[in-house]
Amino acid sequence: MIIPILRRVLQAAGVILAMTLIVFVGVNVIGNPVDILINPDLNQLERDEVVRSLGLDLPLWKQYLTFLSGILEGNFGDSFVYGTSAIKLILLRLPATLELAVVALLIALLVGLPLGLYAGLYPERASSRVIMSGSILGFSLPSFWFGLMLILLFSVNLGWLPSGGRGETRTLWGIEWSCLTLDGLQHLILPAINLALFKVSMVLRLTRAGVKEIMPLDYIKFARSKGLSEKRVIFVHMFKNLLVPVVTIVGLEFGTLIAFAVVTESIFAWPGTGRLIIESINLLDRPVIVAYLMMMVSMFVFLNLLVDISYTYLDPRITFGSKDK
Amino acid sequence: MALGASSKTYAVNLEVLKLELTETWNYVSRPVCVLMTTFALSTVAIAEDLTIAFSAPPTTIDPHAVSSAPSNSAGRHIFDSLINRGGNAENLPQLAISWTPLDSTHWEFQLREGVTFHDGTTFDSEDVVASLNRVANMPGKAFDPYTRTIKNVEATGPYTVVVETYSADPLILNSLSRLRIISAEFANSGSDAFDQGEAVIGTGPFKFVSYRPGDEINMERNDDYFAGPASWENLSIRIITDNGARLAALLAGDVDLIEALPAEGQVRVAESPNHEVMRGQSTRVIYLAPDMFNDASPQITDNDGNALSENPLRDIRVRQALRKSINRDAIVERIMSGNATVAHQWVAEGFMGNSPGVEEVEYDPEGAKELLAEAGYPDGFRMQINGPTGRYENDSQVLQAVGQMFSSIGVDTTVIVQPWSVFGPAYPNHVFSVYLASWGINTGEVTNPTLAIAVTTDAEAGTGRYNGGGISDPQIDALMEQALQELDDDKRKAQMQEISELIFNNSYLFPLHYESVALGARKGLSYEPRSDKYTLAYDIKPAE
Repeated sequence: MIIPILRRVLQAAGVILAMTLIVFVGVNVIGNPVDILINPDLNQLERDEVVRSLGLDLPLWKQYLTFLSGILEGNFGDSFVYGTSAIKLILLRLPATLELAVVALLIALLVGLPLGLYAGLYPERASSRVIMSGSILGFSLPSFWFGLMLILLFSVNLGWLPSGGRGETRTLWGIEWSCLTLDGLQHLILPAINLALFKVSMVLRLTRAGVKEIMPLDYIKFARSKGLSEKRVIFVHMFKNLLVPVVTIVGLEFGTLIAFAVVTESIFAWPGTGRLIIESINLLDRPVIVAYLMMMVSMFVFLNLLVDISYTYLDPRITFGSKDK
Repeated sequence: MALGASSKTYAVNLEVLKLELTETWNYVSRPVCVLMTTFALSTVAIAEDLTIAFSAPPTTIDPHAVSSAPSNSAGRHIFDSLINRGGNAENLPQLAISWTPLDSTHWEFQLREGVTFHDGTTFDSEDVVASLNRVANMPGKAFDPYTRTIKNVEATGPYTVVVETYSADPLILNSLSRLRIISAEFANSGSDAFDQGEAVIGTGPFKFVSYRPGDEINMERNDDYFAGPASWENLSIRIITDNGARLAALLAGDVDLIEALPAEGQVRVAESPNHEVMRGQSTRVIYLAPDMFNDASPQITDNDGNALSENPLRDIRVRQALRKSINRDAIVERIMSGNATVAHQWVAEGFMGNSPGVEEVEYDPEGAKELLAEAGYPDGFRMQINGPTGRYENDSQVLQAVGQMFSSIGVDTTVIVQPWSVFGPAYPNHVFSVYLASWGINTGEVTNPTLAIAVTTDAEAGTGRYNGGGISDPQIDALMEQALQELDDDKRKAQMQEISELIFNNSYLFPLHYESVALGARKGLSYEPRSDKYTLAYDIKPAE
């Protein structure tokens, strides 16, 4: 168990190193952040001084080495734009995104799983067909449009829910959370639904496909012939097997929920990391871009690991680590 | 590079789609809406609180760290300056009540007595000295354009300050209007102390309450403000960068006033019974610059694609012809949706340096063709024009329209747009034949844009840094040298008018339009949009 985890961590370190190198070279190719950042009224001398203070006067390889040695000391560099630690900037915004992603994931599971089960168990019913057609909408509606429609209906026309922002927050463990206040929850509903829409459809379809695949299998027939109740057959014998693909996808998709919440965050003015990274890319704020990507890569690696470990509990035939060989 | 263009087109289409769908939705939802309003109470109430939405994020609360419009605009709510910059770039008393030049390099300022900081301490000359020293020594150099001429600041009494400049500086009042006064107690505090709130002590109309970067800034009224308390007990500045989201927040009643009302949302706001559009003219001028720097311009060929031996843009007749081909009224009306004013020179009438002697070039495609033929290009030539996308209002659409207009007089034009991160650093380097750029003239007078764009490039002196067209006219350079030292306003004005005439009558630049400031607000507010595009809640009043 330990060795494969260590191997993963090493792999991740390799990926991160390659990624930082790409970002450094990439941002450098796009342009010089100084030209975008500084007051255009500055003269050459003043400009040079700013360039020096940001460390951008050094050759790229030296900048890169400075950055690497900084990491060893736990310093990921300061944002060119905000002037404060890039990692702090991201951590300040990460709770907002995490909160949004977790709520969206819960919605996806709470809505998608039961509906998928239902549609899989009773495929011939008209209601199942409605559910399945509905899921196509969930797949195909672009989220920026759906988000705007949500705002238009529930905020502009009905006035039931706020159109954006995080609302009132409460501090817990030194972090501000929207989900702990009524006002915050109201702000959370629309963006979470918007973010969850696609995932609901996906979980629903996965579950239904799983049900249809597993129900005719011999062990289900055997369980039934043993005289087990239908409830037990479905929720114990079938459900565990059903969960293997669902957990895989949901685990990996949680990463994309966080990494690609950009559209939802923009439309709902949600102050999360997605908006931060877009703004940083536009301003070539390299320290923030690098720190953000490092964090995302680490997160994906971690989620993969978590998915693999959870397999072994759901399906004892799978042993962790063996498939790497 | 073509990628930039296509992705922008995509974005534009999405905007259009959003709008169309929105319209459709209105149609469908109107009955629902009518039903609901019969149950819901009207949200228009006499509110003591104000929520405004900025379109770009202030990146710090430290008033000396960053000189971007949103940071300065937010800072002005909490901090005052010696000089108050009015909505039309005029210099008014604020913490200084009067000023007199002692000689060409010394200015004496009388300070306002009886002003207190938000923490109850009294404001005096020590605070001015400490603030001006702090801002001059910030590592980011953000305010250097305003502090660089200041040699020394001295408190000669508890309420008098003498500012010494290196040489005569006619723009010193403008500079001082941009430098905020903090409490001397926090002169050694870093930006972190400001962003965490402990050092945010000013004399301004609002007191700081909380700041969440990229999200919102909350303030409360300073009841002791020397010019009288603001109309709003609590002020919340929210940052909503997405156009659609900002518009929705206004229509939903979540915010009272939004900055940068998107052009496509103006009809919607104007038609809404509870909202209105507020318009004003900004000092941001959008212009095209022709390349007169290169002997053979990099993006111009003859109609068969062969290089030309000379640079046609060096011929004033060709430049005039291109200008005559541009139908600026159509651009302002159709592309900018009336959200701009046609520009003929750096600044509009009423601003310093505007000259009646600048000829206004009218749309005249026939005359343009004749001029081209006269210059030896009866069949035109091939040219590429360049510009940023997403930087200025409808920038890429404007450039595309210009491209078609150039083509209509026989100059076969290709349009290339790039994101600002690519275009911005490139355009001063004489790599484009014609490009679209812009300058926000924050001083409201002519020397500021001229120094950056229309004097001979000199890296040492830092002049002409954005002179990508390669303008080099000894007359302009000489006049600028005088104007930058001239303390007599009448003489300066005459010099600047001559500069305007030289630049624009020679068609060194093709001015297109001044962007408008368009705000969306709920009904019941009165506010005059400012030419510098700052949104200042102190000046927002409940309508009578």
